Amino acid sequence: MMNGITIGQFFPGNSLLHRLDPRVKILLTLCYIVAVFVPSNWYGLGMAVAFLIAAVLLSRLPLKLIFKSLKPILPILIFTALLNMFYVSGGVTLWEWGVLHLTTQGLIAAAFLAIRIIALIAGSSLLTYTTGPTALTDALERLMRPLKVIKVPVHEIAMMMTIALRFIPTLVEETDKIMSAQKARGADMESGGLFKRIKALVPILIPLFVSSFRRAYELAMAMECRCYHGGEGRTRMKQLHMGLRDWLALLTMALLIGGMIVLNVFVTPVL
Amino acid sequence: MDSAMLRTEALCYAYEPDETEPVQALCGVDLAIEEGSFTAVLGHNGCGKSTLAKHFNAILLPTGGKVFVKDIDTADEERRLDVRRTVGLVLQNPDNQLVSTIVEEDVAFGPENLGIAPEEIRRRVDEALKTVGMYDYREHAAHKLSGGQKQRVAIAGMLAMEPDCLVLDEPTAMLDPQGRAEVMETVRRLNRERGMTVVLITHYMDEAALADRVVVMEGGEVLLDGTPREVFSRVRQLREVALDVPQATDLCFQLRQYGLPIAGDILTEEECVEALAALLGDPHGIA
Repeated sequence: MMNGITIGQFFPGNSLLHRLDPRVKILLTLCYIVAVFVPSNWYGLGMAVAFLIAAVLLSRLPLKLIFKSLKPILPILIFTALLNMFYVSGGVTLWEWGVLHLTTQGLIAAAFLAIRIIALIAGSSLLTYTTGPTALTDALERLMRPLKVIKVPVHEIAMMMTIALRFIPTLVEETDKIMSAQKARGADMESGGLFKRIKALVPILIPLFVSSFRRAYELAMAMECRCYHGGEGRTRMKQLHMGLRDWLALLTMALLIGGMIVLNVFVTPVL
Repeated sequence: MDSAMLRTEALCYAYEPDETEPVQALCGVDLAIEEGSFTAVLGHNGCGKSTLAKHFNAILLPTGGKVFVKDIDTADEERRLDVRRTVGLVLQNPDNQLVSTIVEEDVAFGPENLGIAPEEIRRRVDEALKTVGMYDYREHAAHKLSGGQKQRVAIAGMLAMEPDCLVLDEPTAMLDPQGRAEVMETVRRLNRERGMTVVLITHYMDEAALADRVVVMEGGEVLLDGTPREVFSRVRQLREVALDVPQATDLCFQLRQYGLPIAGDILTEEECVEALAALLGDPHGIA
């Protein structure tokens, strides 16, 4: 039942996007999230969409995947679009009913926002699609390193993420086992209302909890056996190197944001 | 100073659960493990053999007596890392000792903790994975491997730290027969070909029979200590502590009980077959 879960949703490949330094990919994603909200006109937004399409093509991932990533946000998308449609006024009124009135400006605002959200989600899902979980945590550790100055336990956070990722499949497997064991004893998990079903989860969660603690204890011991003593003096086998393509990618992003700002100055805003 | 890799002197250890009286897990264990030897520590559940294993790399510290690793006192906090990089301890559950998702990254975990240079880690990881025969799986996800494969990766994780001694705490207890065979074969090869000092904690007689020396523990003390032949020939004494002997030894023991002239120190099936063939081929022997 729980085999469908794939955290991080990484799709291995060897495309340009896959080979980019994970640190650069995280930075690019963060910049892109901001960039999507920079433009105030269609040209700027067009640039953001063009950038996204180029990135998707470079990732050589099936388009189906990108649409799949949008599915969960569909309700939010529709909701915000509707709100914008009816709350933004101005332009020609197309339709009116009581307090509700639909204007051309409202429609434009709704479309503008919808495209922004789609670009935002599709763009950030590219990060997890093309970057393995270990590369991600590794890059995060390195990017957050400056925060050590203000006493953020960067190494510990990264180590926790690594271990969490490592144990997700193990715990999923264990949950399945416990569920089967409880079903074999007559536990009913599929019928009844919401409240009854939540209650039926208790006999699964308790053994899972207990065994997680046991695992944690054993893992801590195993880590000690392997000379783990915190992040101090630790080296890494895999070093990250910034190559030409990484700098080019960052430059492209800078051009994108720069271009959008210039357009904002010279083109009249949509709204 | 002697040449012992591991040495315990009157080692005692008591678990002190909060409310009950202290449970004495080890009382007065004197052992010396020679460099390059293959020792099996045998015993029933709760005999203290796992507790002993955890003393060899300072996971547990003695509550009485001393433990020395190459003449380093394990109680010396300053040298704890030296102890742990000298003695690699492999635990029972392979699932709970792998830290990283990817095989090669997990093997790199130990050397990374030691602060070794990246290129050197790469070399050690590759070599360790080749030694345990898991090199082809280096980029696989650890959780998708079989139990025996996971345990071999765990051994590789220890080898990558280049220890002088490997202590394995019931490494095959959670594995299927094939996984057991894989792990035992790896351990044996490490001892024979690399001269690695191996201490194997086990409750399987046939695994203990592969060692040069068998130490039988009971109630936190050493009960028997000798070559597998010497130890397993004492069938009655082993039975008393609810331990079994290898099947071949058991068969010969029972035949002897019936008064047949058959050796009492038979260990393997081949030896047993030979002895029986000799017995049957010689009609006077049976009479």
